[in-house]
Amino acid sequence: MAATLVWALPMPAVKAGEVTLEQLDEQQLVAACLAGRPGAFDVVVDRHRRSVYQLCYRFVGNHEDASDLSQDVFLRAYRGLKSFRGGSSLSTWLYRIGVNVCLNRVAVKRPVTEAIDARPHVDTQHESQVDRVLREERGVQVRAAIAQLPPKQRATLVLRMYQDLSHEEIAQVLGSSVGAVKANFFHALGNLKKILGTEGDLA
Amino acid sequence: MAHLTPERLIDIAEGVVAEKDAPHLASCAQCAQQLTDLRAMLAEIGADDVPEPSPLALNQLSARVRDAVAEESVRRRSWRERLSQPWILVPSFAGALAVALLAVLLLPRQAPAPAAPVPSTSIVQTTTMPVAGDRASLPAPEPSLPPLGVASDPQLGLVADVGTTLDWDEMRDEIALDVPGTSSDAVVGALTADEQRELQRLLADEMAQPGVPENRS
Repeated sequence: MAATLVWALPMPAVKAGEVTLEQLDEQQLVAACLAGRPGAFDVVVDRHRRSVYQLCYRFVGNHEDASDLSQDVFLRAYRGLKSFRGGSSLSTWLYRIGVNVCLNRVAVKRPVTEAIDARPHVDTQHESQVDRVLREERGVQVRAAIAQLPPKQRATLVLRMYQDLSHEEIAQVLGSSVGAVKANFFHALGNLKKILGTEGDLA
Repeated sequence: MAHLTPERLIDIAEGVVAEKDAPHLASCAQCAQQLTDLRAMLAEIGADDVPEPSPLALNQLSARVRDAVAEESVRRRSWRERLSQPWILVPSFAGALAVALLAVLLLPRQAPAPAAPVPSTSIVQTTTMPVAGDRASLPAPEPSLPPLGVASDPQLGLVADVGTTLDWDEMRDEIALDVPGTSSDAVVGALTADEQRELQRLLADEMAQPGVPENRS
């Protein structure tokens, strides 16, 4: 309870011999948050913000909504940290919140997908201009097709393909069995092929 | 001939299980085709990279979360401080009491009279225009009730203000109420000994004021 009072306060200087928040492992960090150690939740955010942001981006397809949803995910995590039992990793727990937040959002509002993303890490030096445009156009088609999948298939595919979660981890996030995750993944890929094939035929 | 299950095909497509460990593939064109399609889709999706957010965007996200968390903390602290002072409960109780009193006083007057069976002759009577000398026989008009609304009653306004700022979930968290056992006893029980003494003192002061009937038992 007292933890909620002090997270917003500035971090005091670390005393000699005291372990810094960055040095804490996951369980210790959660304990520090619950104990009200200043700045502890900031470290949680810093550690997981990239993966949470990318998860949200995969659901909504644009940076503005992804940023809003990521903030929502962390705020819900902050509110519910008391209920985190440590049965799964913190990242799995955050993914679970993230998937719920994202599925709720896309059920209410179909997000505007950005046409072409800025991807500075893609090596384009050995790629011709035409190839790059074709690849990006195909990427847009794939993302649009993923957006048409049923919620569980979509979540499974995003977590597996873009977040690199194992089938076991996905089962924890979605609260289902490994077999169900694999079956969902199988059907997601099959449906994706149908959607892309149909769009290819129409084009 | 049993085909490969979706789970098995996924394992083979992802390389978890070797093809040679599934001899069925060599003799089943349908399963072999499914495996080929799966691999093609995995390659296609894998080529679509996850966009890397810029460090600036991530720092902005951290700042936004920090602000939102700080705002949440202030909001919770505000409630905690208000609830830690027993006198804050007095206007709430007074408001609730006022609403209950109003309900008791007004509801019976607003409740419709039980519908009595209307004889067929009354239709003829009501459709007949009264003449000048018959005014005394007309039923007296119902006294009009004052409009019930926030604007007409400052006490209700107070209750409405309190109601709009109350968040039951937060209240429950702050005073550690369990839903099944929710009662005024539980609320009072959640107060510290000092707070209970202060509440007792306030109530005693209220009771000691002139005009408050003393309860002699």
